[in-house]
Amino acid sequence: MNPYVLFFLLFGLGLGTTTTFASSHWLLAWMGLEINTLAILPLMTQDHHPRAVEAATKYFLTQATAAAMILFGSTTNAWLTGQWDIQQAIHPLPATMVMLGLALKIGLAPMHSWLPEVLQGLNLTTGLILSTWQKLAPFALLLQFQTTSTSLLIALGLASTLIGGWGGLNQTQLRKILAYSSIAHLGWMALILPFFPSLTLLTLIMYLIMTLSMFLAFKLNKSTNINTLALSWAKTPALTALAPLMLLSLGGLPPLTGFMPKWLILQELTKQELAPAATMAALTALLSLYFYLRLSYAMTLTTSPNNTAGITPWRLPSTQSTLPLAIAATTSLLLLPLTPAMTALLKL
Amino acid sequence: MLKIIVPTLMLIPTAWLSPAKWLWPTTLAHSLIIALFSLSWLENLSETGWTSLNLYMGTDPLSTPLLVLTCWLLPLMILASQNHTSAEPMNRQRTYITLLTSLQLFLIMAFSATEIILFYIMFEATLIPTLMIITRWGSQAERLNAGSYFLFYTLAGSLPLLVALLILQNNTGTLSLLTLHYSNALTLSSYADKIWWAGCLLAFLVKMPLYGVHLWLPKAHVEAPIAGSMVLAAVLLKLGGYGMMRIMVMLEPLTKELCYPFIILALWGIVMTGSICLRQTDLKSLIAYSSVSHMGLVTGGILIQTPWGFTGALILMIAHGLTSSALFCLANTNYERTHSRTMLLARGLQTIFPLMATWWLIASLANLALPPLPNLMGELVIIISLFNWSWWTIALTGTGTLITAAYSLYMFLMTQRGPAPAHVISLDPTHSREHLLMTLHLLPLTLLILKPELIWGWAF
Repeated sequence: MNPYVLFFLLFGLGLGTTTTFASSHWLLAWMGLEINTLAILPLMTQDHHPRAVEAATKYFLTQATAAAMILFGSTTNAWLTGQWDIQQAIHPLPATMVMLGLALKIGLAPMHSWLPEVLQGLNLTTGLILSTWQKLAPFALLLQFQTTSTSLLIALGLASTLIGGWGGLNQTQLRKILAYSSIAHLGWMALILPFFPSLTLLTLIMYLIMTLSMFLAFKLNKSTNINTLALSWAKTPALTALAPLMLLSLGGLPPLTGFMPKWLILQELTKQELAPAATMAALTALLSLYFYLRLSYAMTLTTSPNNTAGITPWRLPSTQSTLPLAIAATTSLLLLPLTPAMTALLKL
Repeated sequence: MLKIIVPTLMLIPTAWLSPAKWLWPTTLAHSLIIALFSLSWLENLSETGWTSLNLYMGTDPLSTPLLVLTCWLLPLMILASQNHTSAEPMNRQRTYITLLTSLQLFLIMAFSATEIILFYIMFEATLIPTLMIITRWGSQAERLNAGSYFLFYTLAGSLPLLVALLILQNNTGTLSLLTLHYSNALTLSSYADKIWWAGCLLAFLVKMPLYGVHLWLPKAHVEAPIAGSMVLAAVLLKLGGYGMMRIMVMLEPLTKELCYPFIILALWGIVMTGSICLRQTDLKSLIAYSSVSHMGLVTGGILIQTPWGFTGALILMIAHGLTSSALFCLANTNYERTHSRTMLLARGLQTIFPLMATWWLIASLANLALPPLPNLMGELVIIISLFNWSWWTIALTGTGTLITAAYSLYMFLMTQRGPAPAHVISLDPTHSREHLLMTLHLLPLTLLILKPELIWGWAF
């Protein structure tokens, strides 16, 4: 891709998200979301094959629908209450509408079906942008506007943790598995949103770090399905040894970083007298853990029989910088003892 | 406490930096020195029971024997794994020792935690190294299945425990073991409280394991390499018993009524798993089921909540820890020579390895609880307290003891006595390493009966 065009598109991505971050007006926030969507579409289709085009089309249609719902909701709100401000109290009807629009935008169950399909059609870099940077703008809105629909968010959250775990069980493609893992994590964020928004932010940050490390690891290995993972020990032995830990951290097993958000969320939910919901969310995390465990089995814990040509594939030295991966991997493994520092940082 | 934890942590650089030739001797010496220093915990002169306290950790008579057992077991695991990893590349051997070390680190922190949440986190943290030991270093393809069973049985029990603990924290305002006894008694009356009670205990009952949720254990034992089997039988199961004894204090008015089904399952499990042992052909599986049977007795002793029950449970846990670990080592010496766990294929070994047959005899006698050994003391104390609680239990515990004796004898006769078949004549001779390993298991066991107050727990 022409570097000027690439710069322009990345600038658009940044501008869209920043606009949404900075706006207190619904119309401007909507505009930021749209700029964001339009900027990533050419990036999605840069490998111009039918699967990428299909993914971009699906992404465009869902995001356009979501943005239209948000715009419709905020306009209705302006009609009913006479103001456009995001942080002012919002009428319940448009609040639900905007909430559903945002849920569609980030891919909360039951509006999730587009996410695995879209992510599977992209290359790993664009997929990384889609599952990290593209979540920020909708979350800025979710965290700001005052919702009254607690039960809606709990229902969305529990459905997402369940479907995120369930859907990933029979997948063999890494990007689809990561998409379902994303749905499950988003469920945890939605679950705690009405009670403790800062905790949603913490969970989002942890999710971003862990997803970043997983995507970078898969990118370094050039692997997009479970079978190719089995050869990673020949390419990057140290990373192969760390990968199961990173996956189990994503699954939320103590003493790794991934346990921190889950622990704090369960604690807050029990404080809110929602112990059944907390138990259910915790048990659905086991479903996700199953496919993370399967990835670890395939990648590190077994060595599949292979001939010499199989275990020493012809390859060039990678040009990918390993520093970001090293930092992301370290943070996604060892942050649990620093929980007090993290909560202080986010003023929980 | 740090004087044990920091050297344990430094075992990891020792494993990675020592030259290849000295890897096993240095790590063994290092871990033995740690085990030696851990003995100083046994000298407990404090009036409150708690010693070696720092902000987050401490030991009391309940946790000290388990901590010392943990520290004692690492050198034994290193000693036992030396042969079967010798064919692996050097870096993998170092990784293996690192995994064993990290497991010891997590176990020390679990047993010495004074905060229940820290105990919970470390209880869960032991899953990861154990999972890797089973699934990476096990020898058959079924190890993956065993690893999944192990992980998901334990987690399905322990995630509700986390929620239950957080509820407890909301109600009492603290989860510190030092002060939890003094917080206001909870009013537990509703159905939700009964579910909460189950949530508090289920994780530990799965870990013990209670009959009915024990299926993960034989699988894990059969598939794990020798160090995995040793630590699983000797220490990891004891996490369940330890956790139960700690949490029982808080469950006060409910346990009296709600514990009946669990006691029944535990005692019924003794008979059932003992009977399974009687018809077992797989040596490691037999030892694993014998663990389930012994742990059933421990569960029964803990659930009736009498001082004698707790004492007997702790004594039996320590004695069983050393005995079952010794039996797994013996099974492994057979396995390394015949490459089979089937008892029928390696019979009459007494004529080939006479000294090994002595170890087999002592370990089998310890397993069936012969008089001078602490196994007998533990079983007897538990059986007496159960009898005192309800004399019907003697029907199950008595049958259980009889069956235990029967299958221990069956195991001994099957592997050691009789004529040696022709195909086992040319086995490798035993090493001094293996005899040292057995000595280090059985010597503490026989010496403990001379000073049983070390493992009595709270009762002295």
